[in-house]
Amino acid sequence: MSALTEDVTKAQLAARGLPVPPGIVARSVQDARGSVTALAGDVVVKALVPIGGRGKAGAIRIAQDADARADATASLLGSDVRGHSVSAVYLEAKVDIAAEYFLCFTFRGDRPEVLASTQGGIDIEEVVRANPDACVTAPLDVVAGLAPWDAMEIWLRAGLSGPALPAVAAVTSRLYDAFRTCDALTLEINPLVVDRNGDVRIVGAMMAIDDAAAYRHPEWPSSTAGLSPNPRERAVEIANATRAGGEARYVELDGDIGLLVGGGGAGLYIHDLVLELGGRPANHCVTPPTSADDAKLKAVLRAIFGNPRVRGVLIGFNFAQMARTDIRVRALVEVIDELGVDTSRVPVVIRLFGAGEETSRALTSGLPNVHYVPRGTTLADAAALIVRLTAAAPQASAA
Amino acid sequence: MSILIDASTTAMVQGITGAQARFDTQWCLEYGSRIVGGVSPGKGGSMVHGLPVYDTMARACAAHEVDASILYVSAARVKDAVLEAIAAGVRLVVVTAEHVPVHDAAFVAALARQRGVRLVGCNTNGLISPGRSKLGGVGGMRPDDLYPIGGIGICSRSGGMMAEIGLALKAAGYGVSTSVAMGGDVVTGMRMADYVRLFQDDPDTHAIVLFGEPGTSNEEEVAELVRTGIVTKPVVALIAGQFQERYSAGQSFGHAAAIIGDGNGSASLKRQRLRDAGVSVAHALEDIPRWLEERGVPP
Repeated sequence: MSALTEDVTKAQLAARGLPVPPGIVARSVQDARGSVTALAGDVVVKALVPIGGRGKAGAIRIAQDADARADATASLLGSDVRGHSVSAVYLEAKVDIAAEYFLCFTFRGDRPEVLASTQGGIDIEEVVRANPDACVTAPLDVVAGLAPWDAMEIWLRAGLSGPALPAVAAVTSRLYDAFRTCDALTLEINPLVVDRNGDVRIVGAMMAIDDAAAYRHPEWPSSTAGLSPNPRERAVEIANATRAGGEARYVELDGDIGLLVGGGGAGLYIHDLVLELGGRPANHCVTPPTSADDAKLKAVLRAIFGNPRVRGVLIGFNFAQMARTDIRVRALVEVIDELGVDTSRVPVVIRLFGAGEETSRALTSGLPNVHYVPRGTTLADAAALIVRLTAAAPQASAA
Repeated sequence: MSILIDASTTAMVQGITGAQARFDTQWCLEYGSRIVGGVSPGKGGSMVHGLPVYDTMARACAAHEVDASILYVSAARVKDAVLEAIAAGVRLVVVTAEHVPVHDAAFVAALARQRGVRLVGCNTNGLISPGRSKLGGVGGMRPDDLYPIGGIGICSRSGGMMAEIGLALKAAGYGVSTSVAMGGDVVTGMRMADYVRLFQDDPDTHAIVLFGEPGTSNEEEVAELVRTGIVTKPVVALIAGQFQERYSAGQSFGHAAAIIGDGNGSASLKRQRLRDAGVSVAHALEDIPRWLEERGVPP
């Protein structure tokens, strides 16, 4: 799940005909100064970072003329908003607010639901803390969609009535369509505004997107999340993004036992086992299913063996029902060779059964301190072995 | 008996001309599964492993009695392919693709539920009723190594861990009535509780073994079924992923569903809920047969 910045979110809503105020992205003080020609009158200057609560964090200013816009922009650019460095601001026509509401579409587990409140413009968590009934939630019928009359029911329950009701409900219904067609996992509008003319305006908008749907959204930025500052994590992220095949992920932790696991269930189970046995994993990872192209697998292996904290490595997979074991073991041996890993100092335990196992065992037989456990060895026994061997391994680093 | 599939279940393979579909189908046929044909748009009239290939599910279902369909189409094509299968009257749909967009998965899951169609997956390696039938790659080329015939019903969030459970049970002399990998995604068609209800009603299933992960409310729903006495057969559950609680919330370590910080259960919370309800919570795979014995389930 990645969060989009406000400009990208609003461009997608505007493209669907939703009432978004006009806005401009400025990446420099000059940009902000020049915005007066395209966007006259009062503007709101907002730090362009993909998080909520920017008002409270002091990342939103009001400005009118070019000088004020330049000042506001200068004070925001380069600043830090809750861990996000500000490299651009969003200047948006200021809306004359008569009433502010809160609206959010999201998934609770596997079920989409809508949250609505007539107390918008402020932190919804505080609203709910003060009065749990102030925010109405309703499940969404993904087959039927959210008709305007269904949206009216929700807003009536939230306490909205009068001429604003049908206007807000109509926009709510269309926002649900946007939530769906944008492949959003969360679409939060706060505040959803009714202005002095009685028109509905989308003033605050945040969207988190489903990365699995990226193939049908060329309008999404190519990388919505920044790459990891850790060089090994970054290398795997790049391999994952640029090479074909299944998913590869690598997250470094503070321990000393490198884990090469398939991800999914066995990865979770083995990680639990190592911890319970007193071992400390150096990473968690997800490796793609075996294929002829082993670039992603090798990227993960290089990260594991390249981590200076690693003093032992467990190659732990489920009993292979389909995949060939020798593809993984060949990649392992090649990376050990490429990085010049001295396995006599870094014990490796391999628990990998299935097709190609004879070849796999032959490939590792010449490597000292590489323990290819016999058929029938449980994942628990393999985990216990690497914990024991690592505890006895020398302190020096692997790479 | 078994659940979902038995020796008489007839099945169509959507996307049968792909490499994975051909491979799995061959081993399903070897096992004795009654796969009667396949669908591959634009390739109607060809044959795969001696099976007729049709352009549409409607044509396939007009030519054969079809109980089930297994889909090998890509994630981007899953939504249409499931809708096509449902429209053609199939009652059991198995979706193997992973990384199906959440909105697509939510839509097909809801539609299947409304139409009374059983949707297994997405992101499943299939299901097996030992000695009768299997759909999908489950068990690979030698299913008997993992799933001998017996009385244990298995439902797992992970296909790989399902194989490990099969091994652990076999080592202790237990066999399987039906084993189903329900899929590890956040959104699945049938939920763990749906499978558990079917096992409860299946006379040949004597006990139920579950593998769960953090995220979603699947395991909590099973706990509720046991607590309220709707499920009376012994249930043994292994829930992995407790380590995630040591790290920052929202970090995904494994299956897409195994994300904590979305208001759904951590592994330790799920274990507690299950234990409180009367489920035997296994610490390791090897504990599962021990618990079954303790609960009076003979091998």
